[in-house]
Amino acid sequence: MAKHHPSNDLLMEYAAGSLPIAQAACISAHLSYCDRCRRTYDQLQTVGGTMLERLEPVPVSETLLDTVLARLEDPAPLAYSGQTEASEIPGLLERLINKDFGQLMWKRVTRALSVSYLSTGDIQHEFALLRIAAGGRIPEHTHGGNEMTLVLEGGFSDGRDSYHPGDFIFRSSDDTHAPVALDGEDCICLTVLDAPLRFTSWQHRWLNPFLKLRAG
Amino acid sequence: MVENKSGDESNSGRNSGKWAVPTGRRTDEWSECLVLIGNSNDRASFTRFFRHFAPLIKAFALAGSSLSAAHADELVQEVMLKVWQKASGFNPEKAAASTWIYTIARNCRTDMFRRLQKFDTPLAADDLNIELEGEEPFTVLHTRRGSDRIKDLMGQLPPDQAQILAKVYMEGKSHSEAAAELDLPLGTVKSRVRLAIQKLQVQMDRQ
Repeated sequence: MAKHHPSNDLLMEYAAGSLPIAQAACISAHLSYCDRCRRTYDQLQTVGGTMLERLEPVPVSETLLDTVLARLEDPAPLAYSGQTEASEIPGLLERLINKDFGQLMWKRVTRALSVSYLSTGDIQHEFALLRIAAGGRIPEHTHGGNEMTLVLEGGFSDGRDSYHPGDFIFRSSDDTHAPVALDGEDCICLTVLDAPLRFTSWQHRWLNPFLKLRAG
Repeated sequence: MVENKSGDESNSGRNSGKWAVPTGRRTDEWSECLVLIGNSNDRASFTRFFRHFAPLIKAFALAGSSLSAAHADELVQEVMLKVWQKASGFNPEKAAASTWIYTIARNCRTDMFRRLQKFDTPLAADDLNIELEGEEPFTVLHTRRGSDRIKDLMGQLPPDQAQILAKVYMEGKSHSEAAAELDLPLGTVKSRVRLAIQKLQVQMDRQ
């Protein structure tokens, strides 16, 4: 059961459909782990449904009803059928990565850290999987913007707390952190960034000019 | 022009079924209407549903005047076709008809915005939907009570909080966009949202 959750603000923007797609996908993946947030999301959707009911109706022409009635027997568009059974990866991610983490292209950033970029079409956010080797450390870094992280496999600790599959962490630009993967298993996280990360320790600062946001 | 029926009959229907049915099944007019559409492809029920909800979907499409009248009609069409196609998946124990159709309308509008902006993505808004499954009857009832409470409390929100929720839910604005449009600091918007969430008693079970 996840212990770290998105804020109500984020859940509300998600329920109202106003989050950028990369961030919405990350929240959606968290909900597939977390009953509690799903219930909150449900209630936040009820807020939307209730507001819809209370809108001042705008008349619709009778022709539109006829058009719709005439189209009722049109074949329904094919829809993605959601989560495949017996998978521990949220269905949405499974779809973006085409099955499992092993088949992805992993790009090495440091000895302990590899990254694989996924495409959501969101040109303002990078949507990527990070793989931190068991016990490995990501050098201390900060971000020009916000970072969402969702643990998918293994776990990591940042000195404040430890995080396990399903845990969701939101960091704003002024947070500096240096996550360390827990021992025993590689840690795989989904991260959504709206600005490139910046290493703060002098040993790693030389990497900064090479770190660009891979949005899209 | 289609006359929109006032909400009176649907409200009385909802309240009369509230305590009588311990499973939490909704017995209001629009939920029953959706069940009829889903079970027996009933066109008469669909027409009734359309006459009630199409004018609300159109109002939703035009909120914040982000879509033209032609696009608003297109959205009404798309949403109503989805209602017909998806009605068999509607579960009156889990959601009110208005919440169910709100979700469809929200997703259709998001997809339409992306289409109009030529935003290329492998994901449709529907793909991000998470369905609650295999819930305990107690949880379902609990959630049901929570949403009935939200409906009742909604009318009591102070105007400044209701205004922000309208920006967020009906116009699809983020909290920072709402702040900019209302010329308020982001912190004020966030605290009004927080107060509204408390007032509506969303997530009573949280922490």
